[in-house]
Amino acid sequence: MRLKVAVYWGCVIPTIQYGYEMSVRAVMPKLDVELIDLNNISCCGTPVKSVNMPAALYLASRNLALAEKTGLKNLFLPCNGCYLSLSEAQHLLSHDEELKERVSTLLKEENLQYNGSTRIWHTIDLLHDLVKEEKIRKAVKHPLTGLKLAVHYGCHVLRPSTLQMVDDSEYPRKMDDLVEWLNAESTPYPEKLDCCGALLLLSHPDAAFTFSGLKMKAVQEWGADALVVSCPSCQMMFDMRQKSAAATIGAKLSIPVLYYTQLLGFVMGIETEKLGLHLNRSPVDELLRKAGLISATASP
Amino acid sequence: MQSSVVENLKIIMPIKASFTIPISMSITDLTSTKRPDSALRLKVQAMIGEQKPYNCFQCIRCTSGCPSMKMLELKPHEIVSLAKLGFIEELLTSGILWTCATCLKCKERCPQAVAPADLIFALRNLAVEKEVKVPESFLHSLSAILETGFIQKPQNTVTRKLERVNREKLGLPEFHEPDEKFKAAFFKALEQSQEE
Repeated sequence: MRLKVAVYWGCVIPTIQYGYEMSVRAVMPKLDVELIDLNNISCCGTPVKSVNMPAALYLASRNLALAEKTGLKNLFLPCNGCYLSLSEAQHLLSHDEELKERVSTLLKEENLQYNGSTRIWHTIDLLHDLVKEEKIRKAVKHPLTGLKLAVHYGCHVLRPSTLQMVDDSEYPRKMDDLVEWLNAESTPYPEKLDCCGALLLLSHPDAAFTFSGLKMKAVQEWGADALVVSCPSCQMMFDMRQKSAAATIGAKLSIPVLYYTQLLGFVMGIETEKLGLHLNRSPVDELLRKAGLISATASP
Repeated sequence: MQSSVVENLKIIMPIKASFTIPISMSITDLTSTKRPDSALRLKVQAMIGEQKPYNCFQCIRCTSGCPSMKMLELKPHEIVSLAKLGFIEELLTSGILWTCATCLKCKERCPQAVAPADLIFALRNLAVEKEVKVPESFLHSLSAILETGFIQKPQNTVTRKLERVNREKLGLPEFHEPDEKFKAAFFKALEQSQEE
């Protein structure tokens, strides 16, 4: 059965985190998920929330309205920030008539309408609950037997549980399952729910890098072979800025960091360049070598 | 809704035992002659959803799990306490509001269903409205969105082999900004919220 979903990429993924977009576009059709890109979209509202909450709500609602226009029931949001913003908007608009009316008036400027008929999904629950175990296990060509992987969910798809979220806020399991379906082991580690610090990066960079650095140090010390993420901001902190984090906390960090969809595509036998794995800054070649998926002589 | 807020405040306000004096926060010395501002207090409460600060009994669960507490001395329970009492100006000018990483653990774990993170967002909004010093990066994102619809345009990047690439070279479809009508509508949304 083929599943058609609207996809909203947000700001961070299509402007710099190309590895996520490439791997999602490469993996999903092979799992019978057809992605329909939305037209005319804008920022989800997250960066505006600190400055002007009503304007942030308007931005989130606008994108939900654009998704409704496609007539598709399911909307896929690969970015955690976008997921929280749109989930919160759905909650507010269904609980507060006055707010809904104010937003509706603004949406009319562009002939848009919000009805609240869309179901939102993130990469984690889309793969876990819609694609499901059987299909994922079947797609695995190179099982990751013997590898220990640490998963990082990212704050904004778990909290607050008063909104629709992808998993339990304190004991999430879905991403662990996803990793185990590839025959890898999901490393239990106490720092699993810790924040990456991305939202402090611009105002307090040293603090932000201490957040990400301490988490990676822990992951390394627990013996994980890699850190698996599914949020573009977290990936930026752990992968792109791993060296800055190491310098800030004064530790040697060398942990491969990659998106779950990159890992998945990789075990499905998709070429690394199609998954954007050549864009990761962290030592992912080490992981691929350990998994026996590239030869030991391949240059880093 | 509004009247029940006032009723609750009447009950709670005489009890000041829960108030803790902030020691390490860079907030104005509260032993000064500064008096609480109840109008601003009500304004902040109206800005946040159903999770109001007056339910807080200072169990400090929020602060114990706050990652910014370890690094930047953010203490969510003190922010709640000060907001509850009406020391809003002190909060706006302290700069501590901008140390929150928005991990939302405080909102998730509060046994009284208070949401310190929501309160921090409301106070940040108010700091912007009152033109108190605000980290530039936040305003920068806003002007980028007004201009292009997103926080930034697609950036060039490099591979691990230091090869310069962009969306096109990576085989990704063209990136589109929203059309002109968006700007006008977003501008209106910003203006409208300033009027209230």
